[in-house]
Amino acid sequence: MMSMERRTLVPNPERERERERTQCKRTVRLRSWVFLEMSVFNHSNLSGGNAPDPDYKWTYEYYDDDEPVSFEGLKAHRYSIVIGFWVGLAVFVIFMFFVLTLLTKTGAPHPEGAEPCKKRVRLTSCVEDLRPPADPDNRPCLHRPLLDSSLSRSLFHCYVNEEQAQEGSRPRAGTPRGGLVQGPGRGRSGSPEEGGMEVGVTRALQGAAMLGGNRTDHREAMSLSHFNIPNVVNSEHCSTLGADDLLLGEPPIIMEGECHWPHSAHHMMD
Amino acid sequence: MNDVSALPSNHTDCQVVKVPHLVFLVLGMVSLSENLLVVVAVVRNKNLHSPMYMFICSLATFNTISSLSKTWETLMMEFSDVGQLDSRGDSVRRVDDIIDALLCMSFIGCICSFLAIAVDRYVTIFHALRYHNIMTTRRAAAALAGIWALCGVAGAVMVAFCDATVIKIFFIVLFLISLLLILFLYVHMFLLARSHARKIAALPGSAMPHRSLRGALTLTMLFGVFVVCWAPFFLHLLLLMVCVENPYCECYRSLFQLNLVLLMSHAVVDPAIYAFRSAELRNTFRKMLFCSDSPLCYKVKALFH
Repeated sequence: MMSMERRTLVPNPERERERERTQCKRTVRLRSWVFLEMSVFNHSNLSGGNAPDPDYKWTYEYYDDDEPVSFEGLKAHRYSIVIGFWVGLAVFVIFMFFVLTLLTKTGAPHPEGAEPCKKRVRLTSCVEDLRPPADPDNRPCLHRPLLDSSLSRSLFHCYVNEEQAQEGSRPRAGTPRGGLVQGPGRGRSGSPEEGGMEVGVTRALQGAAMLGGNRTDHREAMSLSHFNIPNVVNSEHCSTLGADDLLLGEPPIIMEGECHWPHSAHHMMD
Repeated sequence: MNDVSALPSNHTDCQVVKVPHLVFLVLGMVSLSENLLVVVAVVRNKNLHSPMYMFICSLATFNTISSLSKTWETLMMEFSDVGQLDSRGDSVRRVDDIIDALLCMSFIGCICSFLAIAVDRYVTIFHALRYHNIMTTRRAAAALAGIWALCGVAGAVMVAFCDATVIKIFFIVLFLISLLLILFLYVHMFLLARSHARKIAALPGSAMPHRSLRGALTLTMLFGVFVVCWAPFFLHLLLLMVCVENPYCECYRSLFQLNLVLLMSHAVVDPAIYAFRSAELRNTFRKMLFCSDSPLCYKVKALFH
Protein backbone atom coordinates (compact mmCIF):
# COMPACT_ATOMS: atom_id res chain seq x y z
CA MET A 1 0.00 0.00 0.00
CA MET A 2 2.99 2.26 0.06
CA SER A 3 2.75 3.37 -3.48
CA MET A 4 3.06 6.59 -5.22
CA GLU A 5 0.46 9.05 -4.36
CA ARG A 6 -2.51 9.64 -6.46
CA ARG A 7 -2.53 12.93 -8.22
CA THR A 8 -5.52 14.69 -9.56
CA LEU A 9 -5.59 17.29 -12.21
CA VAL A 10 -7.73 20.31 -11.53
CA PRO A 11 -7.72 23.48 -13.54
CA ASN A 12 -8.58 25.86 -10.71
CA PRO A 13 -8.03 25.72 -7.02
CA GLU A 14 -11.29 25.14 -5.23
CA ARG A 15 -11.17 24.98 -1.53
CA GLU A 16 -14.18 22.81 -1.00
CA ARG A 17 -13.29 20.25 -3.55
CA GLU A 18 -9.82 20.37 -2.19
CA ARG A 19 -11.15 19.50 1.20
CA GLU A 20 -12.98 16.52 -0.19
CA ARG A 21 -9.99 15.42 -2.10
CA THR A 22 -7.91 15.87 0.95
CA GLN A 23 -10.11 13.32 2.63
CA CYS A 24 -9.29 10.92 -0.12
CA LYS A 25 -5.69 11.91 0.07
CA ARG A 26 -5.66 11.12 3.72
CA THR A 27 -6.77 7.70 2.71
CA VAL A 28 -4.34 7.78 -0.14
CA ARG A 29 -1.78 8.71 2.43
CA LEU A 30 -1.88 5.16 3.43
CA ARG A 31 -0.79 4.45 -0.07
CA SER A 32 2.20 6.65 0.03
CA TRP A 33 4.67 7.60 2.62
CA VAL A 34 7.99 7.62 0.99
CA PHE A 35 6.98 10.09 -1.59
CA LEU A 36 6.25 12.60 1.08
CA GLU A 37 9.56 14.21 0.42
CA MET A 38 8.87 14.49 -3.24
CA SER A 39 5.39 15.82 -2.74
CA VAL A 40 6.48 18.37 -0.19
CA PHE A 41 9.34 19.34 -2.41
CA ASN A 42 7.04 19.84 -5.33
CA HIS A 43 4.28 21.32 -3.29
CA SER A 44 6.50 24.07 -2.03
CA ASN A 45 6.20 25.50 -5.49
CA LEU A 46 2.46 25.41 -5.33
CA SER A 47 1.67 27.40 -2.26
CA GLY A 48 -1.95 27.11 -1.28
CA GLY A 49 -2.82 25.53 -4.51
CA ASN A 50 -1.88 28.36 -6.82
CA ALA A 51 -0.01 26.39 -9.36
CA PRO A 52 2.46 28.23 -11.49
CA ASP A 53 2.05 25.46 -14.00
CA PRO A 54 -1.33 25.96 -15.60
CA ASP A 55 -1.53 22.39 -16.76
CA TYR A 56 -1.93 20.71 -13.45
CA LYS A 57 -1.92 21.34 -9.81
CA TRP A 58 -0.89 19.10 -7.01
CA THR A 59 -3.79 18.76 -4.66
CA TYR A 60 -2.08 16.19 -2.58
CA GLU A 61 -1.22 17.61 0.77
CA TYR A 62 0.27 15.53 3.46
CA TYR A 63 -0.97 17.91 6.09
CA ASP A 64 -3.87 20.06 5.12
CA ASP A 65 -3.03 23.70 5.55
CA ASP A 66 -6.61 24.55 6.35
CA GLU A 67 -6.94 22.22 9.26
CA PRO A 68 -3.67 21.56 10.95
CA VAL A 69 -3.76 18.76 13.38
CA SER A 70 -3.01 20.47 16.61
CA PHE A 71 -1.00 18.74 19.21
CA GLU A 72 -1.59 21.38 21.77
CA GLY A 73 -3.28 20.59 25.01
CA LEU A 74 -3.27 16.86 24.78
CA LYS A 75 -4.53 15.44 28.03
CA ALA A 76 -3.25 11.94 27.65
CA HIS A 77 -0.10 10.60 26.14
CA ARG A 78 -0.11 11.10 22.41
CA TYR A 79 0.41 7.45 21.67
CA SER A 80 -2.42 6.44 23.98
CA ILE A 81 -4.46 4.87 21.20
CA VAL A 82 -1.49 2.80 20.13
CA ILE A 83 -0.71 1.68 23.65
CA GLY A 84 -4.34 1.00 24.45
CA PHE A 85 -4.83 -0.98 21.27
CA TRP A 86 -1.82 -3.22 21.77
CA VAL A 87 -2.49 -3.78 25.44
CA GLY A 88 -6.09 -4.67 24.63
CA LEU A 89 -4.98 -7.04 21.89
CA ALA A 90 -2.47 -8.77 24.16
CA VAL A 91 -5.05 -9.08 26.91
CA PHE A 92 -7.53 -10.53 24.45
CA VAL A 93 -5.12 -13.15 23.14
CA ILE A 94 -3.96 -14.17 26.60
CA PHE A 95 -7.52 -14.26 27.84
CA MET A 96 -8.50 -16.46 24.96
CA PHE A 97 -5.62 -18.79 25.72
CA PHE A 98 -6.58 -19.05 29.36
CA VAL A 99 -10.21 -19.64 28.53
CA LEU A 100 -9.27 -22.43 26.16
CA THR A 101 -6.89 -23.95 28.69
CA LEU A 102 -9.54 -23.75 31.36
CA LEU A 103 -11.99 -25.43 29.04
CA THR A 104 -9.63 -28.32 28.62
CA LYS A 105 -9.14 -28.70 32.33
CA THR A 106 -12.72 -28.43 33.54
CA GLY A 107 -14.90 -31.47 33.57
CA ALA A 108 -13.54 -34.39 35.50
CA PRO A 109 -13.09 -37.53 33.51
CA HIS A 110 -15.24 -40.48 34.45
CA PRO A 111 -12.90 -43.36 35.07
CA GLU A 112 -15.67 -45.84 35.75
CA GLY A 113 -17.31 -45.09 32.52
CA ALA A 114 -20.63 -46.38 33.67
CA GLU A 115 -22.51 -43.24 33.01
CA PRO A 116 -21.38 -42.65 29.47
CA CYS A 117 -22.02 -46.26 28.69
CA LYS A 118 -25.61 -45.94 29.58
CA LYS A 119 -26.26 -42.87 27.60
CA ARG A 120 -27.43 -43.06 24.11
CA VAL A 121 -24.80 -43.39 21.56
CA ARG A 122 -25.13 -40.53 19.20
CA LEU A 123 -24.06 -41.82 15.92
CA THR A 124 -25.35 -41.85 12.47
CA SER A 125 -29.00 -41.33 12.18
CA CYS A 126 -29.61 -44.93 11.36
CA VAL A 127 -28.10 -46.17 14.57
CA GLU A 128 -29.79 -43.74 16.84
CA ASP A 129 -32.18 -46.26 18.15
CA LEU A 130 -29.57 -48.87 18.77
CA ARG A 131 -28.14 -48.81 22.19
CA PRO A 132 -25.12 -50.60 23.47
CA PRO A 133 -26.07 -53.50 25.65
CA ALA A 134 -26.06 -52.91 29.36
CA ASP A 135 -22.74 -53.40 30.96
CA PRO A 136 -23.41 -54.96 34.30
CA ASP A 137 -19.92 -55.29 35.55
CA ASN A 138 -19.21 -51.56 35.47
CA ARG A 139 -16.09 -51.85 33.51
CA PRO A 140 -15.11 -48.75 31.68
CA CYS A 141 -16.80 -48.74 28.38
CA LEU A 142 -13.59 -48.38 26.61
CA HIS A 143 -12.23 -51.64 27.73
CA ARG A 144 -14.76 -53.86 26.18
CA PRO A 145 -14.87 -54.34 22.48
CA LEU A 146 -16.16 -51.41 20.71
CA LEU A 147 -19.40 -52.97 19.84
CA ASP A 148 -21.04 -56.25 20.38
CA SER A 149 -21.03 -58.37 17.33
CA SER A 150 -24.76 -58.33 16.85
CA LEU A 151 -25.03 -54.65 17.40
CA SER A 152 -22.06 -53.98 15.24
CA ARG A 153 -23.44 -56.10 12.48
CA SER A 154 -26.70 -54.25 12.49
CA LEU A 155 -24.86 -50.98 12.68
CA PHE A 156 -22.70 -52.06 9.84
CA HIS A 157 -25.65 -52.84 7.66
CA CYS A 158 -27.30 -49.64 8.67
CA TYR A 159 -24.17 -47.75 7.83
CA VAL A 160 -23.96 -49.50 4.52
CA ASN A 161 -27.49 -48.60 3.70
CA GLU A 162 -26.99 -45.02 4.66
CA GLU A 163 -23.86 -44.74 2.63
CA GLN A 164 -25.58 -46.30 -0.29
CA ALA A 165 -28.46 -43.96 0.07
CA GLN A 166 -26.10 -41.07 0.08
CA GLU A 167 -23.70 -41.99 -2.56
CA GLY A 168 -25.30 -44.53 -4.73
CA SER A 169 -24.35 -48.13 -4.77
CA ARG A 170 -20.95 -48.76 -3.45
CA PRO A 171 -20.23 -52.16 -1.96
CA ARG A 172 -18.66 -52.18 1.43
CA ALA A 173 -16.22 -54.88 2.21
CA GLY A 174 -15.44 -54.03 5.77
CA THR A 175 -15.51 -56.42 8.61
CA PRO A 176 -18.52 -55.87 10.77
CA ARG A 177 -16.85 -54.53 13.83
CA GLY A 178 -18.03 -51.21 15.01
CA GLY A 179 -16.21 -48.18 13.83
CA LEU A 180 -19.02 -45.84 13.40
CA VAL A 181 -18.47 -42.25 12.91
CA GLN A 182 -20.17 -39.21 14.09
CA GLY A 183 -23.37 -38.62 12.28
CA PRO A 184 -23.79 -35.53 10.26
CA GLY A 185 -26.55 -34.05 12.27
CA ARG A 186 -26.08 -35.66 15.59
CA GLY A 187 -22.56 -34.78 16.16
CA ARG A 188 -23.08 -31.12 15.90
CA SER A 189 -23.87 -30.54 19.50
CA GLY A 190 -20.79 -32.15 20.77
CA SER A 191 -19.54 -35.61 20.92
CA PRO A 192 -20.80 -39.09 21.17
CA GLU A 193 -21.14 -40.24 24.66
CA GLU A 194 -19.09 -43.29 24.22
CA GLY A 195 -15.37 -42.82 24.47
CA GLY A 196 -14.57 -45.75 22.30
CA MET A 197 -16.79 -44.39 19.65
CA GLU A 198 -14.84 -41.23 19.81
CA VAL A 199 -11.74 -43.07 18.92
CA GLY A 200 -13.58 -44.26 15.91
CA VAL A 201 -14.81 -40.77 15.31
CA THR A 202 -11.40 -39.31 15.25
CA ARG A 203 -10.10 -41.98 12.99
CA ALA A 204 -12.98 -41.61 10.66
CA LEU A 205 -12.64 -37.88 10.67
CA GLN A 206 -9.12 -38.23 9.58
CA GLY A 207 -10.10 -40.58 6.87
CA ALA A 208 -12.97 -38.43 5.76
CA ALA A 209 -10.91 -35.30 5.66
CA MET A 210 -8.27 -37.03 3.73
CA LEU A 211 -10.63 -38.03 1.02
CA GLY A 212 -10.65 -34.96 -1.01
CA GLY A 213 -10.95 -36.32 -4.45
CA ASN A 214 -12.81 -39.04 -6.14
CA ARG A 215 -10.41 -41.72 -5.26
CA THR A 216 -12.50 -44.76 -4.81
CA ASP A 217 -9.63 -46.81 -3.52
CA HIS A 218 -9.19 -44.44 -0.62
CA ARG A 219 -12.85 -44.48 0.03
CA GLU A 220 -12.73 -48.23 0.20
CA ALA A 221 -9.75 -48.05 2.47
CA MET A 222 -11.57 -45.62 4.69
CA SER A 223 -14.55 -47.87 5.06
CA LEU A 224 -12.22 -50.72 5.73
CA SER A 225 -10.36 -48.83 8.36
CA HIS A 226 -13.61 -47.82 9.97
CA PHE A 227 -14.27 -51.34 10.77
CA ASN A 228 -10.82 -52.16 11.97
CA ILE A 229 -10.88 -49.60 14.67
CA PRO A 230 -11.61 -51.82 17.65
CA ASN A 231 -8.29 -53.50 17.09
CA VAL A 232 -6.72 -50.15 17.40
CA VAL A 233 -8.54 -49.11 20.51
CA ASN A 234 -7.41 -52.08 22.48
CA SER A 235 -3.85 -52.12 21.38
CA GLU A 236 -1.35 -50.42 23.58
CA HIS A 237 0.76 -48.56 21.15
CA CYS A 238 -2.22 -47.02 19.53
CA SER A 239 -3.56 -45.48 22.64
CA THR A 240 -1.90 -42.18 22.11
CA LEU A 241 -5.10 -40.63 21.01
CA GLY A 242 -6.25 -37.45 22.42
CA ALA A 243 -7.08 -33.98 21.42
CA ASP A 244 -4.34 -34.32 18.87
CA ASP A 245 -6.43 -36.59 16.82
CA LEU A 246 -9.03 -34.05 16.21
CA LEU A 247 -8.13 -33.48 12.69
CA LEU A 248 -7.84 -29.85 11.94
CA GLY A 249 -4.55 -29.86 10.22
CA GLU A 250 -3.76 -32.39 7.66
CA PRO A 251 -4.97 -35.88 7.43
CA PRO A 252 -2.84 -38.78 6.39
CA ILE A 253 -3.07 -39.39 2.75
CA ILE A 254 -2.66 -43.09 2.78
CA MET A 255 -4.13 -45.31 5.35
CA GLU A 256 -2.00 -48.32 5.69
CA GLY A 257 -2.90 -50.02 8.88
CA GLU A 258 -4.52 -48.68 11.91
CA CYS A 259 -1.57 -47.48 13.85
CA HIS A 260 -0.06 -45.17 11.33
CA TRP A 261 -2.29 -42.34 12.14
CA PRO A 262 -1.01 -41.23 15.49
CA HIS A 263 2.48 -41.35 14.18
CA SER A 264 2.29 -40.04 10.71
CA ALA A 265 -0.40 -37.47 10.97
CA HIS A 266 0.33 -34.10 12.42
CA HIS A 267 -2.83 -32.56 13.57
CA MET A 268 -3.77 -29.06 14.11
CA MET A 269 -4.11 -29.44 17.78
CA ASP A 270 -0.63 -30.85 18.04
CA MET B 1 14.37 13.49 4.35
CA ASN B 2 15.46 17.09 4.62
CA ASP B 3 12.16 18.32 3.33
CA VAL B 4 10.32 16.95 6.29
CA SER B 5 11.77 19.69 8.43
CA ALA B 6 9.99 22.18 6.22
CA LEU B 7 6.74 21.15 7.83
CA PRO B 8 5.30 23.26 10.62
CA SER B 9 6.73 22.37 13.97
CA ASN B 10 3.46 21.38 15.55
CA HIS B 11 3.28 18.45 13.15
CA THR B 12 6.51 16.91 14.31
CA ASP B 13 5.08 15.58 17.55
CA CYS B 14 4.14 12.31 15.99
CA GLN B 15 6.65 11.74 13.30
CA VAL B 16 5.93 9.14 10.73
CA VAL B 17 7.87 6.05 11.67
CA LYS B 18 9.74 4.92 8.62
CA VAL B 19 10.76 1.35 8.13
CA PRO B 20 13.81 0.80 5.92
CA HIS B 21 13.17 -0.65 2.52
CA LEU B 22 15.48 -3.52 3.29
CA VAL B 23 13.05 -4.88 5.86
CA PHE B 24 10.27 -4.97 3.32
CA LEU B 25 12.52 -6.51 0.72
CA VAL B 26 13.71 -9.26 3.04
CA LEU B 27 10.21 -10.00 4.25
CA GLY B 28 8.93 -10.03 0.72
CA MET B 29 11.63 -12.40 -0.48
CA VAL B 30 11.18 -14.83 2.38
CA SER B 31 7.42 -14.83 2.08
CA LEU B 32 7.61 -15.19 -1.68
CA SER B 33 9.92 -18.19 -1.55
CA GLU B 34 7.92 -19.94 1.16
CA ASN B 35 4.55 -19.49 -0.44
CA LEU B 36 5.84 -20.29 -3.92
CA LEU B 37 7.23 -23.50 -2.50
CA VAL B 38 3.84 -24.38 -1.09
CA VAL B 39 2.09 -23.67 -4.37
CA VAL B 40 4.55 -25.70 -6.40
CA ALA B 41 4.41 -28.58 -3.93
CA VAL B 42 0.63 -28.73 -4.00
CA VAL B 43 0.52 -28.53 -7.77
CA ARG B 44 3.16 -31.17 -8.32
CA ASN B 45 2.00 -33.77 -5.85
CA LYS B 46 -1.11 -35.57 -7.05
CA ASN B 47 -1.94 -36.65 -3.54
CA LEU B 48 -2.48 -33.04 -2.58
CA HIS B 49 -5.18 -32.35 -5.12
CA SER B 50 -7.90 -32.39 -2.52
CA PRO B 51 -10.18 -29.53 -1.43
CA MET B 52 -8.27 -28.96 1.76
CA TYR B 53 -4.96 -28.53 0.00
CA MET B 54 -6.60 -26.51 -2.72
CA PHE B 55 -7.62 -23.95 -0.12
CA ILE B 56 -4.16 -23.94 1.39
CA CYS B 57 -2.70 -23.51 -2.07
CA SER B 58 -5.04 -20.61 -2.74
CA LEU B 59 -3.95 -18.96 0.48
CA ALA B 60 -0.32 -19.44 -0.49
CA THR B 61 -1.05 -17.98 -3.94
CA PHE B 62 -2.59 -14.88 -2.46
CA ASN B 63 0.36 -14.50 -0.14
CA THR B 64 2.68 -14.89 -3.10
CA ILE B 65 0.87 -12.17 -5.01
CA SER B 66 0.93 -9.85 -2.03
CA SER B 67 4.61 -10.33 -1.37
CA LEU B 68 5.40 -9.97 -5.07
CA SER B 69 3.53 -6.70 -5.36
CA LYS B 70 4.93 -5.39 -2.11
CA THR B 71 8.46 -6.24 -3.15
CA TRP B 72 7.90 -4.71 -6.55
CA GLU B 73 6.54 -1.57 -4.99
CA THR B 74 9.45 -1.35 -2.57
CA LEU B 75 11.87 -1.71 -5.45
CA MET B 76 10.10 1.00 -7.39
CA MET B 77 10.22 3.31 -4.42
CA GLU B 78 13.86 2.52 -3.92
CA PHE B 79 14.57 3.39 -7.54
CA SER B 80 12.52 6.51 -7.18
CA ASP B 81 14.48 7.54 -4.12
CA VAL B 82 17.69 7.05 -5.96
CA GLY B 83 16.31 9.09 -8.80
CA GLN B 84 16.13 6.48 -11.49
CA LEU B 85 12.39 6.58 -11.73
CA ASP B 86 10.10 9.47 -12.40
CA SER B 87 7.35 9.11 -9.89
CA ARG B 88 5.13 11.51 -11.71
CA GLY B 89 5.15 9.67 -14.96
CA ASP B 90 1.92 8.29 -16.31
CA SER B 91 3.18 4.79 -16.81
CA VAL B 92 4.63 4.68 -13.34
CA ARG B 93 1.32 5.84 -11.97
CA ARG B 94 -0.50 3.13 -13.81
CA VAL B 95 1.91 0.52 -12.58
CA ASP B 96 1.37 1.86 -9.11
CA ASP B 97 -2.36 1.48 -9.51
CA ILE B 98 -1.93 -2.09 -10.61
CA ILE B 99 0.26 -2.80 -7.61
CA ASP B 100 -2.29 -1.35 -5.26
CA ALA B 101 -5.09 -3.31 -6.87
CA LEU B 102 -3.07 -6.51 -6.53
CA LEU B 103 -2.37 -5.75 -2.89
CA CYS B 104 -6.03 -5.12 -2.13
CA MET B 105 -6.98 -8.26 -4.00
CA SER B 106 -4.48 -10.36 -2.10
CA PHE B 107 -5.55 -8.97 1.26
CA ILE B 108 -9.18 -9.80 0.64
CA GLY B 109 -8.14 -13.13 -0.85
CA CYS B 110 -6.15 -14.04 2.24
CA ILE B 111 -9.10 -13.36 4.47
CA CYS B 112 -11.44 -15.36 2.25
CA SER B 113 -8.96 -18.23 2.13
CA PHE B 114 -8.74 -18.32 5.90
CA LEU B 115 -12.47 -18.52 6.00
CA ALA B 116 -12.54 -21.28 3.41
CA ILE B 117 -9.95 -23.31 5.31
CA ALA B 118 -11.90 -22.92 8.55
CA VAL B 119 -15.14 -23.98 6.85
CA ASP B 120 -13.41 -26.96 5.28
CA ARG B 121 -12.05 -28.07 8.64
CA TYR B 122 -15.45 -27.55 10.20
CA VAL B 123 -17.12 -29.75 7.61
CA THR B 124 -14.39 -32.32 8.16
CA ILE B 125 -15.14 -32.50 11.85
CA PHE B 126 -18.87 -32.21 12.00
CA HIS B 127 -19.93 -33.81 8.75
CA ALA B 128 -17.29 -36.45 8.54
CA LEU B 129 -19.37 -39.11 6.89
CA ARG B 130 -20.56 -36.85 4.15
CA TYR B 131 -17.41 -34.82 3.81
CA HIS B 132 -16.52 -36.08 0.39
CA ASN B 133 -20.08 -35.47 -0.73
CA ILE B 134 -20.28 -31.97 0.62
CA MET B 135 -16.78 -30.87 -0.24
CA THR B 136 -16.21 -32.28 -3.67
CA THR B 137 -13.32 -31.11 -5.75
CA ARG B 138 -15.68 -29.42 -8.14
CA ARG B 139 -17.38 -27.47 -5.41
CA ALA B 140 -14.07 -26.48 -3.92
CA ALA B 141 -12.87 -25.33 -7.33
CA ALA B 142 -16.08 -23.37 -7.82
CA ALA B 143 -15.69 -21.77 -4.40
CA LEU B 144 -12.12 -20.84 -5.20
CA ALA B 145 -13.13 -19.40 -8.56
CA GLY B 146 -15.77 -17.32 -6.81
CA ILE B 147 -13.26 -16.13 -4.23
CA TRP B 148 -10.76 -15.16 -6.90
CA ALA B 149 -13.38 -13.33 -8.96
CA LEU B 150 -14.64 -11.47 -5.92
CA CYS B 151 -11.14 -10.48 -4.90
CA GLY B 152 -10.16 -9.36 -8.37
CA VAL B 153 -13.24 -7.18 -8.69
CA ALA B 154 -12.88 -5.85 -5.15
CA GLY B 155 -9.24 -4.96 -5.69
CA ALA B 156 -9.98 -3.08 -8.89
CA VAL B 157 -12.97 -1.28 -7.39
CA MET B 158 -11.08 -0.28 -4.27
CA VAL B 159 -8.32 1.31 -6.21
CA ALA B 160 -10.62 2.98 -8.68
CA PHE B 161 -12.87 4.51 -6.05
CA CYS B 162 -10.54 5.17 -3.19
CA ASP B 163 -12.45 8.23 -2.01
CA ALA B 164 -15.66 6.43 -1.27
CA THR B 165 -15.89 5.62 2.39
CA VAL B 166 -18.14 2.72 1.58
CA ILE B 167 -15.10 0.88 0.23
CA LYS B 168 -13.25 1.18 3.50
CA ILE B 169 -16.36 0.26 5.41
CA PHE B 170 -16.72 -2.80 3.22
CA PHE B 171 -13.14 -3.81 3.91
CA ILE B 172 -13.51 -3.41 7.64
CA VAL B 173 -16.86 -5.15 7.80
CA LEU B 174 -15.48 -8.04 5.77
CA PHE B 175 -12.60 -8.34 8.18
CA LEU B 176 -14.82 -8.28 11.26
CA ILE B 177 -17.27 -10.81 9.89
CA SER B 178 -14.47 -13.16 8.85
CA LEU B 179 -12.84 -12.77 12.24
CA LEU B 180 -16.00 -13.66 14.08
CA LEU B 181 -16.79 -16.57 11.79
CA ILE B 182 -13.30 -18.00 12.07
CA LEU B 183 -13.38 -17.62 15.83
CA PHE B 184 -16.72 -19.35 16.05
CA LEU B 185 -15.74 -22.23 13.79
CA TYR B 186 -12.46 -22.92 15.50
CA VAL B 187 -13.84 -22.62 19.02
CA HIS B 188 -16.61 -25.02 18.14
CA MET B 189 -14.07 -27.48 16.78
CA PHE B 190 -11.95 -26.99 19.84
CA LEU B 191 -14.88 -27.78 22.11
CA LEU B 192 -15.29 -31.07 20.32
CA ALA B 193 -11.62 -31.81 20.72
CA ARG B 194 -11.91 -31.01 24.38
CA SER B 195 -14.69 -33.52 24.90
CA HIS B 196 -12.70 -36.05 22.93
CA ALA B 197 -9.76 -35.48 25.19
CA ARG B 198 -11.90 -35.87 28.24
CA LYS B 199 -13.25 -39.15 27.04
CA ILE B 200 -9.83 -40.41 26.14
CA ALA B 201 -8.53 -39.31 29.49
CA ALA B 202 -11.05 -41.68 31.00
CA LEU B 203 -8.86 -44.44 29.73
CA PRO B 204 -6.69 -45.53 32.59
CA GLY B 205 -3.08 -44.89 32.00
CA SER B 206 -3.57 -42.47 29.22
CA ALA B 207 -3.67 -39.20 31.04
CA MET B 208 -1.96 -36.65 28.90
CA PRO B 209 -3.04 -33.23 30.00
CA HIS B 210 -0.34 -31.51 28.09
CA ARG B 211 -1.93 -32.54 24.83
CA SER B 212 -5.03 -30.51 25.51
CA LEU B 213 -2.84 -27.64 26.50
CA ARG B 214 -1.11 -27.87 23.20
CA GLY B 215 -4.46 -27.80 21.46
CA ALA B 216 -5.33 -24.58 23.24
CA LEU B 217 -1.92 -23.22 22.39
CA THR B 218 -2.30 -24.11 18.73
CA LEU B 219 -5.68 -22.52 18.45
CA THR B 220 -4.52 -19.41 20.27
CA MET B 221 -1.55 -19.16 17.98
CA LEU B 222 -3.63 -19.60 14.86
CA PHE B 223 -6.18 -17.04 15.81
CA GLY B 224 -3.83 -14.78 17.72
CA VAL B 225 -1.41 -14.41 14.84
CA PHE B 226 -4.27 -13.60 12.51
CA VAL B 227 -5.64 -10.93 14.80
CA VAL B 228 -2.27 -9.43 15.77
CA CYS B 229 -1.15 -9.13 12.19
CA TRP B 230 -4.35 -7.87 10.62
CA ALA B 231 -6.09 -5.81 13.27
CA PRO B 232 -3.63 -2.89 13.37
CA PHE B 233 -4.05 -2.29 9.65
CA PHE B 234 -7.81 -2.35 9.90
CA LEU B 235 -7.81 -0.08 12.88
CA HIS B 236 -5.80 2.29 10.75
CA LEU B 237 -8.50 2.16 8.08
CA LEU B 238 -11.16 2.72 10.70
CA LEU B 239 -9.37 5.67 12.20
CA LEU B 240 -8.93 7.16 8.76
CA MET B 241 -12.67 7.27 8.41
CA VAL B 242 -13.71 8.05 11.92
CA CYS B 243 -11.28 10.57 13.34
CA VAL B 244 -9.39 12.28 10.62
CA GLU B 245 -8.09 15.23 12.56
CA ASN B 246 -7.78 13.87 16.03
CA PRO B 247 -4.16 14.07 17.18
CA TYR B 248 -4.35 10.73 18.94
CA CYS B 249 -5.53 9.10 15.75
CA GLU B 250 -2.82 10.95 13.92
CA CYS B 251 -0.22 9.42 16.18
CA TYR B 252 -1.67 6.00 15.58
CA ARG B 253 -1.63 6.56 11.85
CA SER B 254 2.00 7.61 11.97
CA LEU B 255 2.87 3.99 12.67
CA PHE B 256 1.40 2.84 9.41
CA GLN B 257 4.60 1.32 8.09
CA LEU B 258 4.93 -0.84 11.17
CA ASN B 259 1.43 -2.13 10.56
CA LEU B 260 2.44 -2.94 7.01
CA VAL B 261 5.44 -4.86 8.31
CA LEU B 262 3.07 -6.87 10.48
CA LEU B 263 0.90 -7.63 7.48
CA MET B 264 3.87 -8.82 5.50
CA SER B 265 5.14 -10.92 8.36
CA HIS B 266 1.80 -12.64 8.44
CA ALA B 267 2.47 -13.82 4.91
CA VAL B 268 5.75 -15.23 6.21
CA VAL B 269 4.17 -17.02 9.16
CA ASP B 270 1.17 -18.38 7.24
CA PRO B 271 2.89 -21.37 5.63
CA ALA B 272 4.23 -22.41 9.02
CA ILE B 273 0.75 -22.35 10.51
CA TYR B 274 -1.21 -23.93 7.72
CA ALA B 275 0.90 -25.65 5.15
CA PHE B 276 3.97 -26.95 6.94
CA ARG B 277 1.90 -28.82 9.49
CA SER B 278 1.06 -31.38 6.88
CA ALA B 279 3.36 -34.37 6.81
CA GLU B 280 2.59 -34.97 3.18
CA LEU B 281 3.52 -31.41 2.23
CA ARG B 282 6.70 -31.60 4.24
CA ASN B 283 7.69 -34.79 2.49
CA THR B 284 7.02 -33.14 -0.83
CA PHE B 285 9.23 -30.22 0.15
CA ARG B 286 11.99 -32.51 1.17
CA LYS B 287 11.79 -34.34 -2.08
CA MET B 288 11.74 -31.14 -4.07
CA LEU B 289 14.47 -29.32 -2.25
CA PHE B 290 16.91 -31.82 -0.99
CA CYS B 291 16.51 -34.89 -2.99
CA SER B 292 14.70 -35.68 -6.16
CA ASP B 293 13.14 -39.03 -6.81
CA SER B 294 16.27 -40.37 -8.34
CA PRO B 295 17.61 -43.82 -7.56
CA LEU B 296 20.75 -42.21 -6.22
CA CYS B 297 18.71 -40.45 -3.58
CA TYR B 298 17.23 -43.69 -2.36
CA LYS B 299 20.65 -45.26 -2.20
CA VAL B 300 21.92 -42.37 -0.16
CA LYS B 301 18.96 -42.66 2.14
CA ALA B 302 19.50 -46.38 2.48
CA LEU B 303 23.03 -45.71 3.57
CA PHE B 304 21.82 -43.79 6.54
CA HIS B 305 19.18 -46.23 7.65
